[in-house]
This record gives sequence, C-alpha cells and structure tokens, in this order.
Amino acid sequence: MHSIIGKKVTRVDGYEKVTGKAVYGDDIKLHGMLYAANRYTDIPAGKIKKIDLSNAEKMDGVEAIVLFKDIPGKKRIGPIRQDHYILVNDEVFYCGDVIAAVAAKTKETAYAAADAIEIEYEPIEGIFDPAEAVKPDARLIHPEFKSNIVVHYPLRKGDVEKGFGESENLIERVYRTGFHEHAYIEPETVTAAPDSTTKGYKIYGSIQNPFTTRRMVAAFMGLNLNQINILGSTLGGSFGGKDDIINCMACRVALLSKITGKPVKLTYTREESIKESYKRHPYILNYKVGFNNDGKLKSMKIEIIADSGAYSSQSFFVTWRSVVQATGPYEIENVETDIRAVYTNNSYTAAFRGFGSPQIIFAKESLMDEIAAICKISPLEIRQINGFKQGSITASGQKLDEHTVSLGEVIEKAIEKSTYNAKLDEYHKKNETGSRYKYGIGLACSYRGCSLGAEGTDTTSVIVSVQADGSVYVLAGLNENGQGMRTTFCQVAAEVLGIPLEKVAFLEPQTATIPDGGPTVASRATLTGGNAVIDGALKIKNAIFNVIKDELQVSGIDETIWENGMISRIQPLPEINPISFEKAVEKSFKAGVNVSAYGWFKAPDVSWHEETGQGNAYFTYVYGCQVAEIKVDTYTGKIEVLKVTAVHDVGKVINRLGIEGQVYGGVAQGIGYAILEDFNIQNGIIKSENLDEYLIPTIKDIHEIEPVLIENSDKYGPFGAKVIGEPTLELASAAINNAMKFATGKYFYQIPLTLERVFLGKNLVKPSRQSEAVRVTHQKKHTPRVTDIAMVTPSSLKKALIMISEDYKIISGGTDIIIELRKRNETKKLLNIFQLKELKKIKKTKDEIIIGSAVPITQILSHKAIKKNFPILVEACSLIGSKQIRNRATLGGNIVNAAPCADSVPPLILYDARITLQSKNGSREIPAKDFIIENYKTQIKPDEILTSFVIPFPKKKFYHSYYQLGRRNAVNITRISIGAMIALDPEKKIEDCRIVSGSLFDRPKNISEIEELLKGQELKEILINEIEQPLKKIIDDAIGKRWSSEYKNPVFINICKDALHDIFMKLKKKK
Amino acid sequence: MAKIKFNINNKDVQLEVKDSLRLLDVLRDCMGLTGTKEGCGIGECGACTVIVNGDAVCSCLVLAGQLHGANVETIENIEQNEVLSKLQQLFLEHGAIQCGFCTPGMLMSAKALLDANPHPAEAEIKEALEGNLCRCTGYIPILNAVKAAGSE
Repeated sequence: MHSIIGKKVTRVDGYEKVTGKAVYGDDIKLHGMLYAANRYTDIPAGKIKKIDLSNAEKMDGVEAIVLFKDIPGKKRIGPIRQDHYILVNDEVFYCGDVIAAVAAKTKETAYAAADAIEIEYEPIEGIFDPAEAVKPDARLIHPEFKSNIVVHYPLRKGDVEKGFGESENLIERVYRTGFHEHAYIEPETVTAAPDSTTKGYKIYGSIQNPFTTRRMVAAFMGLNLNQINILGSTLGGSFGGKDDIINCMACRVALLSKITGKPVKLTYTREESIKESYKRHPYILNYKVGFNNDGKLKSMKIEIIADSGAYSSQSFFVTWRSVVQATGPYEIENVETDIRAVYTNNSYTAAFRGFGSPQIIFAKESLMDEIAAICKISPLEIRQINGFKQGSITASGQKLDEHTVSLGEVIEKAIEKSTYNAKLDEYHKKNETGSRYKYGIGLACSYRGCSLGAEGTDTTSVIVSVQADGSVYVLAGLNENGQGMRTTFCQVAAEVLGIPLEKVAFLEPQTATIPDGGPTVASRATLTGGNAVIDGALKIKNAIFNVIKDELQVSGIDETIWENGMISRIQPLPEINPISFEKAVEKSFKAGVNVSAYGWFKAPDVSWHEETGQGNAYFTYVYGCQVAEIKVDTYTGKIEVLKVTAVHDVGKVINRLGIEGQVYGGVAQGIGYAILEDFNIQNGIIKSENLDEYLIPTIKDIHEIEPVLIENSDKYGPFGAKVIGEPTLELASAAINNAMKFATGKYFYQIPLTLERVFLGKNLVKPSRQSEAVRVTHQKKHTPRVTDIAMVTPSSLKKALIMISEDYKIISGGTDIIIELRKRNETKKLLNIFQLKELKKIKKTKDEIIIGSAVPITQILSHKAIKKNFPILVEACSLIGSKQIRNRATLGGNIVNAAPCADSVPPLILYDARITLQSKNGSREIPAKDFIIENYKTQIKPDEILTSFVIPFPKKKFYHSYYQLGRRNAVNITRISIGAMIALDPEKKIEDCRIVSGSLFDRPKNISEIEELLKGQELKEILINEIEQPLKKIIDDAIGKRWSSEYKNPVFINICKDALHDIFMKLKKKK
Repeated sequence: MAKIKFNINNKDVQLEVKDSLRLLDVLRDCMGLTGTKEGCGIGECGACTVIVNGDAVCSCLVLAGQLHGANVETIENIEQNEVLSKLQQLFLEHGAIQCGFCTPGMLMSAKALLDANPHPAEAEIKEALEGNLCRCTGYIPILNAVKAAGSE
C-alpha cells in the first residue's frame, strides 16, 4: 500500500499558475534587453535574388540584422538530418522560412525594420502534394540529399502475396489525414543573454527539450555544450510542438545577442507561430488486406506517404513509430509495410502528441470496422478474433510476453463502461424516428510502444538532494510541459523516502546543473524519470539506513518501514522507538554521509533491423480503447461528440488528478483532430493564420469524457507505471469515424470530418492559384500588430459629429476594428464613441424600443422588454463572438462592419428595425433591410454616425424560428443562418411571412419570393416542401458559381425548411 | 499620446500612453502585471481576459485610450493577503490547470461570472467560459471547479 502514489494530488506548481506569478517566457525582462523580429519569406518556394537591408539598417533603434552569412557555426541544423535553415541562404523552401532577423530597442522598431527589408525573388514552382514529390521526375527540393524521400522504412513479415492468395476476401482502401496544428495557447518565445562566465549564452523561454536546444544552439554558434545554459521558463503548452521551432528561435537570438552583446528576446504572435511552426504529418495511407469470411486477418500490405514539408526534422522517428504500429494490435501472419516521408514546400512536420500513431489508428481502426461489416460480425468480434493476446507476435516479430497484454481487458472494460450494447439499441431506435439528427457509437483500440524504443538511446537523469532539515530537492533532466511531471516526481521521491509531499520541492532545472536527461517526448517522463527518481531516492535511503540501522537494531532495509516521516521497524520492539526522517538526516549529516544522489535510468535493450523492419521495437507497450458516441446533423453535416469513454491500461496510476487530466485533454485534442481542425494551406500559403480560422474545441464542444484506468503493473515501470500522454489523443478520430458509419450508413476515409466532408463527402476550399502563391506581395506589414494609431475621444455626440470626416474610422467596442487595424499598413485616425452617453441608452416607448448604437450586446441580451418582444434578436446576438466579445461589442459595430456573417442583421431586418444616422446637419432613418448595400459596404456617409436602432414592437402575434450554423459551438464565424417569422390571419392562413438569410448572399436579406409564395396559404408540410425548388433556383442564381454554394445551397434549403417546420410544430402545439 | 486615469486592482493610476497601446500592453509592459497573457491578439483565445467595470473582456481588444475612468481587475488581485480565493483553490483541487497559460484568463472569466451570478447553472458557466480556449485540460476539470465554486 502506498501513502502518496495513486492519490489525487494537486500540482506542486499550481500556486504560481493560479496567481499569475508563474514566469512564462514572454514575462522575462532582462536589463538592456533588445527585441527581435523575423523577416519571413514572401513566397513558399524560390531563389533569393537580392536582399536589401539599407532602409532597415537606417532605422533609429535597430542594433543588428543577421543573415545566413553571419552564422558562426553550423549553417544548417536538425535533430537527425541537418537540413534545416535557421536563416536561409539563397533559396526559400516554405512560407515560414526566415531570411533575416533583426534586433532593436523596441518590439515595434524590430517589426518595422523587418518590414523594411526588401527581398527580390525568382519564384520556383512549389511542390505541395507529397504524391507529386515522390514521382521520379519531380524537382528535388533539397538536391544535396539526392531524393525527395526523406526516409523509407520497410517492414516484412511472412509473404503477403501468398497470404492474399489464401484469403477469402480482399479489399483495398485509401485513408487521408490532415495537418494538425499544436495550438498551444502560449505562442513561442525565447530570450538569449550573453553569459560572461562561459563566454556563451543563457537561454530562457518556452522550451520543451532543453538539451536538444542546447545542442542546436552550440552547433549553430560554434560553441561547446558547456557554453550554452538553457534555463527555460514555465511552458505554456507544447504537445511535442516546442522543439525544432524553439531551437531555430534560440539560434537566432543567440546570434543577435553575440552581435549586440545584449540580451535579445523573440516572441511570436499567433500568426507567426502558425506560419513558422511545424505540424502533425498529413498521411496518405493505402491498406490492402486479405481476410477470411470469419474475420481472420491473413495478410496486410500497407503503403504510406507522409508529408514531411520543407525539412526532415522528426520525420525519421515519427514514421518509424508508424511502421512499427501500422497493423495495430492485431496478429497478422503476413505483413508488408512501406512508409515514406517526403519533402514538399509545405509547412514542415514533426512531433505532435501521438507521433505517427493517430494517422495509422484512424486508418486501420476504420478499416477493421469495414472488414467486420463485410464478414457480418461485430466491431467487437473482429477485434477479439485478431487482437493481441499474451504472447502474441507483432508485425515486427516481437513476442509480447514481458508485460500484461491487456487489449482484451481494455476493450471489455470500454464496452461495459460505455454500456455499448444498450447504446447500440438505443441509437438504432433513435435513428429510426426520421429526425434530422442521427446517432452513432463506435470504438477504436490501439497498442502503443512506450518511450523512445529503438529510435535511440533512452536514458534519463535526476538529482535528489536531502537538506540538513530533512527537506528535499528534486531536479530532473526532463521538462515540465504542463503535464504534471514535477508533481509526479515529487510524489515518487516522497513515497520512496516515506516523507510528506510538502517536504519535497522541485527545483527549476538548467542544463548546466544536471546531466542530459534526453527529450521530454514519447510520453516517457513518468516511466523513465520516475525510475530515475526511485534510483536516486533509494541511494539516499540506503545511505541513511546505514547510519541508523544499529539504533533500530536491524540488518536489512527491508526490515524497516519509511512512512509519514518516520522510520520504524516492521517488527516493533518495545525498547526501540521509531526515528523521524529529520532526525535520521541530522545523524547522517553529523556522520558525514552524503544524502544527495544522482538518479539514472537506462531503458532495457530494444532492437531493430532496418532492412526487414523486424525487432523488439519497444521494451513495453500500453493498450487503450475509446468508445465515441456522436450525434450528426444530417441537414448540415455537423457532428456533436456526446461522450467518449476512454479506457487505458497505464500500469499504475501515480497521480489520479494528473492522469485523469491527461485523458480529458488528450481526448479533447483527438476530437478536434477528428472533426474541427482543418489546417488550410494552399499552394504553400497558410490560410488559417490565427485561431479564428484554425478552430480548436471550446468548452461548448467538449461534452462528456469518462476516463477509465486499468492497472496492470509493468515490471519496468516506477511502481509499475507506464505511459498516458499520447495514447489519449490517438483513438478518438477512429472511434468517431466508426460512429459516423453507424449514424449515417456511410464510410468516411478522411479527417477532419468537416461540415462539408460529412454532408457532401468531400471538403470544399476556397480556390487559390499557384500564381497567387508565387506572387511577391511586398506588403509592408509582415506581422499583424496594433500600431500607428491616433485616437480622439470627443466628450459629446455633438462634438463627435463636428469632428467626424473621411479621415476617421469610428471605434466603439473595438472588437472588430482592432482586429482589422492589426493587418492594415497606413496610419489610422480613430474617433472613439464608445463612452458617449447619448449612444448608451436603451429606451422603451409605447410602440418601439430604441437601442443606442454603443450599447454592448450583453446589455441588449439582458433587457427585459427586448427579451420579451424580440426573441430572435436575443438569440442571434447571444451567438456573437464570446462572452468577452459581447461585453464589449456593440450593436452599431456589428452592423456598420457589414460583414455578411454579422449575426445581428437578420433579426433587425425581420423586426423592421430602422437605423438612425446622424450628421452635424441632422439625422435620417434607413430601414435595416436597406442599410447594407453589399459585403462590407453600407449606406452610411463619411460625416454620419450610426446613433440608434428603432425597433417597433410587432403588432401581430408572430411565430418564429432561428438557426445559426457554425463549425463549432461557440465563437464562430457564422457559416449560414436563417430567421423566420410567421403571423396568421383569423382563417389560420399565413398573413405575414418574413424569411431572412444570413451569410448566404452578398448581404443578409429577405427571401421575398419565398415569403410571397407562402402568404395566404396554410402552413403545412406539403407547402414547406414546395419551397424547395424555387429556393434552390434563387440561391443558384445568386451564388451558384461560388466555391461554397455546393454546400450552402442544399444546407440552406434544409435549414429553411426546418425553420418553417419548427414554426409548424409550434402552431400545432398551440392548437 | 493620451493621458488616462483609471483604477487598477483597487489603486488609482494615471498614465500617459501611446494611442496604439492596448490594455494588454499597458498591463504587461507599462505596469509589470504579466499575469495576463497574450495568446492570439484577436480576442479568440481569452488568455488576456481581465475584468473591466465588472465585465470580462479581452484586453487585447481594448485600446488604452478607451480606459479612462475604468475599473480594471487582473489576476494579480485575486489572491488577497496571501490567501487564495475559493475559486483558485478549487482550480487546484479539480486539476483545472495544466500548463497554466490559459488559467489567468479562465479565472477572470469565471470570477466575473460568479461575482454577478454566485450560483450559475452549467449552461451559464459554459457561456461565460466559451471565449477562453484551453488546449490541455479538455475543459472538464475547469467546468467542475467553477461548478463547485457556484455551489458553495
């Protein structure tokens, strides 16, 4: 029984994180520090003809600009193959390449100088499709490596052709997965400072793998390892992502620091982060499988192409994990796998939680369900028939007999905990009701090699140091990324030494004070570092024991118990008192005994044969099974993940709070990967530049996740513990995809399952041409930022009206305009009307409500009379942005911006609102329906201010319906919306009918043809169906040629009919 | 340049600031209040959330010049006299923190909610936190922590 291991323990680094005191990389400010900025390439592929620094160098405050030629050491770096340009030479390879780096006195000067660097290019036609890159005649992206194929791993077991010959069935399927952005909430940041004691540099920042960073910076700077000290800082999320990019940044700031002799900080905006950072590899996976009618897999041939992007980075290791695990946890006699990572001119790809496993699990777990269906057996049976059992042989020929093979157990547990069989019935029944929503349940399982395996040397280090008063320091050569490693290590030390957790403090590590502990990757921290802590703590325990054993009258340590700070005999003797840990430590110090120790762990041997892909790839494995339950909106293609039951064999739980957190977080990322996260890069240009376009799940997108932890103790694990970080992410996409088949009856072969892919079976993307990609933009502002603003704040509306002119842009809540201004180049003059009392009122008269244009949306939502009389306005406005945005954004701002997706506009049109525009010469009113002329263009004149909205109370009893579609459940850019209101005459015929669309045409507007068609009629199902053809024609005529119309046209018809149906049901209920 | 007078964490301050500065820059760069974080600069992630006049807002979308007369509260004000607030304590107990970068913003959004509505329903909590992205926790522990705070 353990006293601390396995308990719910709050984080040892929690206090500083809940108080804002934790120091993250960008919080660091050193004396005399300069700020750096990158000059990125303008094009993804091309030769650099000329770099003109003259304008930038002239700028006041610029202290250094560095180029390729200034690199003192290795010109190119990389964890395995040194192909990565920190600063490019005469060619660029992807959109995130950096040509020059600037250091200046202020951040703004650095950005401005980077903007002022003029580059001339000779564009090269980029290769953006990995399938093109492997063609024999393809241009070589890095000719010095002789091939676009970065690495090829074969795996051969048995004879696949023979196996196919013996199989009763043969199918071949192709699966595709997308890029996946880490989207850690903290953008990257690194600071370098000259270190006069070593004639080297100290490096701070958001660093996942300090020892890798040290190696890269030392090589780049031509220095020894002991001249670079990495101190890190609190890391704001990483998930494998703050490795190579951080190393590149660290090299640049070290070089700038060398030239200026000053500390230099480089912090990225989100746009820079997304532009330069690496992603998860997109895979194209071809699976050919032979199997018998009973479901027994006979033979599998797999070919995978992974897009490595511009550089090789971790492709060697990522794809190696894939080749080991590509057949999943299934025993198959004959296997032939080939995986190739290839260079393209896309964003480069590297480590991301899962590391080559989510892609193959998506493919082969989807495939398993399809095979089961062909054999008319259940998804469960196919896995039982083929799944690994104790002593099974893997595709690489490894016999699984050194750990508990718990695949069957995790699947059974997942079935039981999710009440899978009952849900099958329940969802079958629900799906028979004819509702627009279909339900599904699906499962996926995996096995995963723990730690690095045969990738390389697998060792790690810690220091455990007991102080004279019995308190303890732990330092580790591994990194806290947020996962809770520090807490785990403190628990292990406390458990071994038998002292309370509060006595153990984790010290901020630096590479100068601890031996290289390897990278904090592969979910290896607990497994390897935990063992190292045990090693160190046991050394100390033995040393202390030798001091006190005579006093306790024992000869062996196993005759003692170390618990709650006391050391006592297992067999108590009345005359012998237990000794407190403090006292024992005091005695040890007096006796001159060392009570500090290095702990070391070297993983058990593994093996790999490169030519055959055979060997004992990993020293132990974990098993997991996740069950996903989903609801699909067949009208729109939107998926809701209702619940994920996540069962994982973790060996042993160290910190229950931490491990459950890993499950929640990993599953949430898996859900995002499966349905939301559509990284849009076209012709090498990134279109999803920030978190408004690259969508990760919000709190409203994550429903229920149930972690179920199985503990089959592992002989190699600390207290039997194995791993958890990555297995949690890798299963959801396959489980969701399998649930999709259940729900829709259709197989899907590609993630993410976007609205369009679900609805149409394919994704739609705004077309972009290669010519667009190679166009040299010469835009001046490379990094979006708020700069060059002049703002005036008049004290009254009257004064504002005198000042307003073409020179000014009006700012109210600012939630749109500040975003817009970040991107603009020219100096802007703003007229601030947010505080004007005249615009802040909501007034109610007998006939109408008057809402001031600067009233924040939140106030409108809580206004009693508005809630009562204008429910659609309230519903639509409640979907604007987020709570924070609505607290600031105003109704006036939402409409003057005239975005086609502005949510407040359709209801204003529906309710016949009028808009008051004032100038110094007077005021005028415009009906809301006429206010917006077209996208981003309104009736407002340069000398006018929108002052209020007048909304008359409806004179009739209206029945209404509103629906807004977004890609996720909050903070959306509205994809499409519909508002409908119907009033009946005494004969129950439609007297008044208003239907307004949003985000469909060039502006929100009434669909008058349909309104007219319905008027005078009785609202019935048959009438609702009649609108379909005319509506289709209206939309086709208006937007038929638009890229999105293939989706929007049928979806709008669906939701329009549904809105009418909703009203129909309300009427029926009324009767 | 604009002269602004406002109240921050119960202290009146007067500053002369450039018009281009955002509230976020005022806090981090001018006042050394680095607890408030920048994650996206466009109001999508909520890491920069602070409370202005009782409402949670994204400090990356407020210009300093618009602050005149405002009451601003940041994460640095939540712990009082070295005692964590109940909400902070519950974040720790529920494992609502991993990397911690979203935590200050998350806490400020939750605080603004609980100040106005001490016993919020689950839907109200989700609405209050919908603008705070977290990439580590899967939100469930955060939701549970705020629920627990709301049931006190």
